[in-house]
Amino acid sequence: MIELRFPASIATEDLPSAGSSHGLPYSMNTLPSAKSKLSVSQRLATLAGAAFLGFGSVLALGLYEQGSSGEALEKAIIAQRGAGTLEEMRLAQVELVLAAMDTIVDRAERRIHPDRALQIRASLAVIERNQADIQTLARLLGQSEVLAGFDADLAELRRTVEQELKALVEAGAPAAEFARIDDVIDGAGERLGASLARLADAAASLAEARIADVRASGKHALMFQAVACLLAMASLIGLIWFHGNALRRGILGLRDNMRRIQEGDLSADVAGLERGDEIGEMARSVELFRASAIEKRSLEERAKTSRNETEAERGRQEAERQQAAGLIKTAVETLGRALNQLADGNLAVAIREPFEGGLDALRRDFNDTVERLSHVLSSVRENTASIESNGRQMRSAADDLAWRTEKQAASLEQTSAALEEITVTVKTATERAEEASHIVDETRINAEESGRIVGEAIAAMARIEGASSEIGKIINVIDEIAFQTNLLALNAGVEAARAGEAGKGFAVVAQEVRELAQRAAGAAKDIKALVSRSGDEVKAGVRLVQETGHALGHIGTKVARINEHMSSIVLAAREQSTGLNEINTAVAQLDQMTQQNAAMVEQTNATSRTLAQDAEMLSELVGQFRHERARETATGMAAVQPSGRGGTTMASVQASATPGAGATTLTLRKSGTAAQSSTRSVPSPAKALMGKLAGAFGNSPGSLPSAKASGKNWEEF
Amino acid sequence: MSNAIKQSGAYLEIVSFHLGDQEFCIDIMAIREIRGWAPVTPMPHTPPYVLGLINLRGAVIPVIDMACRLGMKMTEPSERSAIIVTDINGKLVGLLVEKVSDMMTIRGEDLQPAPEIIPEAQRAFCRGIVALEKSMVCFLNLDTVIAEELAQAA
Repeated sequence: MIELRFPASIATEDLPSAGSSHGLPYSMNTLPSAKSKLSVSQRLATLAGAAFLGFGSVLALGLYEQGSSGEALEKAIIAQRGAGTLEEMRLAQVELVLAAMDTIVDRAERRIHPDRALQIRASLAVIERNQADIQTLARLLGQSEVLAGFDADLAELRRTVEQELKALVEAGAPAAEFARIDDVIDGAGERLGASLARLADAAASLAEARIADVRASGKHALMFQAVACLLAMASLIGLIWFHGNALRRGILGLRDNMRRIQEGDLSADVAGLERGDEIGEMARSVELFRASAIEKRSLEERAKTSRNETEAERGRQEAERQQAAGLIKTAVETLGRALNQLADGNLAVAIREPFEGGLDALRRDFNDTVERLSHVLSSVRENTASIESNGRQMRSAADDLAWRTEKQAASLEQTSAALEEITVTVKTATERAEEASHIVDETRINAEESGRIVGEAIAAMARIEGASSEIGKIINVIDEIAFQTNLLALNAGVEAARAGEAGKGFAVVAQEVRELAQRAAGAAKDIKALVSRSGDEVKAGVRLVQETGHALGHIGTKVARINEHMSSIVLAAREQSTGLNEINTAVAQLDQMTQQNAAMVEQTNATSRTLAQDAEMLSELVGQFRHERARETATGMAAVQPSGRGGTTMASVQASATPGAGATTLTLRKSGTAAQSSTRSVPSPAKALMGKLAGAFGNSPGSLPSAKASGKNWEEF
Repeated sequence: MSNAIKQSGAYLEIVSFHLGDQEFCIDIMAIREIRGWAPVTPMPHTPPYVLGLINLRGAVIPVIDMACRLGMKMTEPSERSAIIVTDINGKLVGLLVEKVSDMMTIRGEDLQPAPEIIPEAQRAFCRGIVALEKSMVCFLNLDTVIAEELAQAA
């Protein structure tokens, strides 16, 4: 295919003609013809395509031949393998027949030797196993008829060898039988061998034929490949020569054109404009360069003519300007004189004679400006007076403020001192209250202890009572003994009396004994009385002690309540202390603010003084201007805004300022008190607070008058 | 009896005792024994002044409340009360008295007869009055005080 297309492309190739273009700029999409459409890359692509196709066809031919020879070789290999199988089968068949013959020869043993039986079975197995293979081989060789009697022969051989031979050998048959069977075996074996030999011959011949085929086709393929290779190389060389020529021609033409343009020859057209490839584009760009160079040359010529015209115009204008300068000079001198007068402060100046042409507007503007300035200055003068009076008022007010701030600071100091005293007092009170609380605690403990002691006393009393009753019992016993003794003495006396003279002495003894007994009885009676009295006393004591205990219990309860009160007092005192601390802080802050206020008042005072001085200076400055027209307007329209406002304010300021002008703070204070008497103001809350404090803390003689004084001062505001 | 008093002449030994606020006395020779109060066994159908019987070392003797017998309030017997055992005409009788106060010896002339203004029957109880420094003691005639009763009882 490629060989066919190449001559066509060569035939249709047309070289670009140098004189076919018209020097006009080409649009990129209008290509001259289809013949020169191929770009450089496309040309290179055709070269690569031709090479690819040539080598591809050579490769395809080789692959195809490889495939066909491979198939033929495979068949030859199969035939070879079949020949091997046939050989094996023939060997087995020969071994089988030999084994059968040996058995017949050794028939006298009347049994088949086990090795031979094994050999027979193995040979038969080999033949049967390869039977299917050789049938396939026969079909492949196209000689199936060779194997027509193969199966029958094999079956006969098997039956004869395995059954009849065995039976004959074991039965010990006559020799005739053995001869018969020998024939049968030999016949069948030979038939089988012949078939197998024929098949083997056929397979060998097939293999040889196939190998010969492969060898022939290999030679053929080599020839084809050589031819294709030659064709591809030829076509490649043709293409390279053709495309190389076309490119070289285009680039050389373009180089010549560019060199001409560089040398200044812009008349010649650029070659290769109609080409469709990259060289064509380069040619069109070069054409554009040429066109722009022509344009630039014509522009330079036009500029030169216009410059000459401008020169002439400038000469004419110079003359006109000198004439105008004369006019302007006279106007400026007139204006300068008027401005000098204005600078001297004459606001009544005005330019009367009109100026030439457009300059007259300047004159009118000057006149208007002077008039307006005059108005403004008169207003400034009035406002300055007003500022002056206000500044004076401010100054007096600031003085007042300074004085009051001082008083306030003093009051605050006193308040702070009083507060500190109160704080100390409260602190002491707190400490005392805490001490009292401790003491009360101890008292409570003592009262409890006393209660316990009272209980013990009561117990002791009870013990005394018990002891008294014991004593009473003992006294009773003594009394009884005394009574009995008395009786005995009486009886003795009776006996003595009855004994007459003989019992006289005994009677005396009895009488003594009786007296003793009576004394003992009397003593016992006395003791009894004493003991009973002491018992009564003890009872009374117990009652008293019990009452004491009750009283002590009451005291304990009361003491506990006192303790509660004391702790609440302590708590309250602490809170008071905290509150006082806060008050202290607040007072300190107040004091600080007052100090700041005082400083600010000082500043204000200074500022207002400066303001007043500045106002005076301003008024002097304004007074330097002669102000005839303003005076005229002032006299003319007397009640119009400036005089109407300024006059009254000035008057009032003068009136109010005269008493305070240059006055010290003392006089200001007097005026302040006078103002107080005239204005009834709201009662001071600070004063009320001070009064309350004074009432609450008793009269602290230091703070009260100052409070009064500050209250008085408050009302001034 | 009066003779006997006179015979003993100068001196007379007596034992005085209290009944309520009054003081009486009897001749010591009539006394056998003085003992403390012991509970008595009451006897039926006896006058109120006969309190009952006591056992005195095996002998049963009656006890008479002297106060009641002499027309005064009944004596409240206590541990300090005494029973004077007397021998009146050979019969033992216990006399309950509040308190045996004294044993003393008086002269015969100290014993003064009871005033005659008192009726005879009542006067028989009293043999005389012994006037002491501080008080007056009635000398009882036990024979009349007890004998009648004993006779009546008998």
